Amino acid sequence: MKVTWLDSMRGAVTVRIRGGEVERFVNLAAAEGVRLLSLRRTSRGEAECEVTLRDFFRLRPLLRQTGCRVRVLRRHGLPFVLVKLNRRKFFALGMAFFIVGMYMLSSLVWSVEVRGNAVIPSERVLEAARREGIYPFQWSFRLKDADVLSKQLMAGLPGTAWIGVEKRGTKITIQIAESTVPEQRPLMNPRHLVATNDAVVTRIMADRGRPVVKENTRVKKGDVLISGILGDERNTETVVAEGVVRGLVWHEYDIVSPLIRKVKTYTGERRVQWYAVAFGRALQISGYGKAPFAKYETVRREERTIWRGIQLPFGRMKQSRLEIRYEERTVTEAEAKAEGLLQARADILAKAGPDAVIVGQNLLHEKADNGKVYMKVLFEVEQSIVEEWPLVHIQGE
Amino acid sequence: MRRLSSRIRKWTADILDLPQDVVFDLPRLTMIGDRQLYIENHRGVIHFSPDKLRLALPKGELEVSGSGLVIRGIWTEEVFVEGVITDVHING
Repeated sequence: MKVTWLDSMRGAVTVRIRGGEVERFVNLAAAEGVRLLSLRRTSRGEAECEVTLRDFFRLRPLLRQTGCRVRVLRRHGLPFVLVKLNRRKFFALGMAFFIVGMYMLSSLVWSVEVRGNAVIPSERVLEAARREGIYPFQWSFRLKDADVLSKQLMAGLPGTAWIGVEKRGTKITIQIAESTVPEQRPLMNPRHLVATNDAVVTRIMADRGRPVVKENTRVKKGDVLISGILGDERNTETVVAEGVVRGLVWHEYDIVSPLIRKVKTYTGERRVQWYAVAFGRALQISGYGKAPFAKYETVRREERTIWRGIQLPFGRMKQSRLEIRYEERTVTEAEAKAEGLLQARADILAKAGPDAVIVGQNLLHEKADNGKVYMKVLFEVEQSIVEEWPLVHIQGE
Repeated sequence: MRRLSSRIRKWTADILDLPQDVVFDLPRLTMIGDRQLYIENHRGVIHFSPDKLRLALPKGELEVSGSGLVIRGIWTEEVFVEGVITDVHING
């Protein structure tokens, strides 16, 4: 039989048997139960074999009986290694230190990573994890099981649908699935909707609340359009009135439109200045001196160098000074009138909202005087006329 | 008397279909090609050299010839021989 790993753990030796009667020695050994392994003959009547360390010490009486001699050629196995190590204590100590150190370092948590969070900041997750004992340089054998940890983390972190804690080697990954929270609606007081202007109601549609007025009724500013109080005298409830109320509103405008216009024109004369730009600072290169114009405009254009798609902090700047001149132009009365009306319409739309529609306009009065056109115009506008009016609940009422 | 007992044994072996080595104390050889030989029921080594191995049997002796013969293991009843075996001879 071969030397098994168990034999080599216990220690085995290779011996050479000399002299005497080798055959008788072998027979005796077999009878005694001493295991001689890989017995082979070498030259000159010698034999070699492997013997386990335990059997080796049982050989002596057999040798005396047969007159053989034994010489140890090789030793292998743990006992011999231990003896060697005993001689080199610091080496053994270092080896032990290395193994223990390796084990300790590998049983530390080195990094914690948070994944899958969009709304909850990672710092909050890490803080919650720290409370559960997950933090760098923690002993990983002090951590609880992953499923327990993820349950406790979920309890500590509201707004999560699922948390998975995964430990891979010295790294802990916290995977988070956030729960989608419905958008919070703004809190609103109970209210009425009242009229912003004197108007004729063209359309009323109450989403919530009780409509008080009907279409084609005249309302004054401050009249309740949609009431926020529901029910009769005995049982009432206040709600947030919501709805759409549109009405015809009249806007009176006094328009003054001049017949002479000041117009800015460029003469075509220009002076160009060049600057070199570096790190936000400009150094003038050319075009020194004041521009010889009475009035001018300055136009700047900066160009940065781009290298492989990256903007560099260097570049140049062109500064052009363009001469301007104001000219006076006379317009006809009709043109001035049209322009005045256009401005007034734009003003109405800006005030009444983009969904306002100008239904009609009525020119009440018109006069050209002192180089100006004076007009009085009545605009009929269909627009939203609602305004919120909070209901203040009075105690004891 | 001995002859009688031997005959009874042979008769029982024939009737009960027992293996011969169990009944008659014969060696059992198991040979794997020309490289391994397993001998059961031997009575010790008489001679051992790299090209010849002689084993005592209950009756007679066994001679194994070859080259590079190694006794891988030896126990009271069994021998396990390895090497290039060319000849197995039994001298009754």
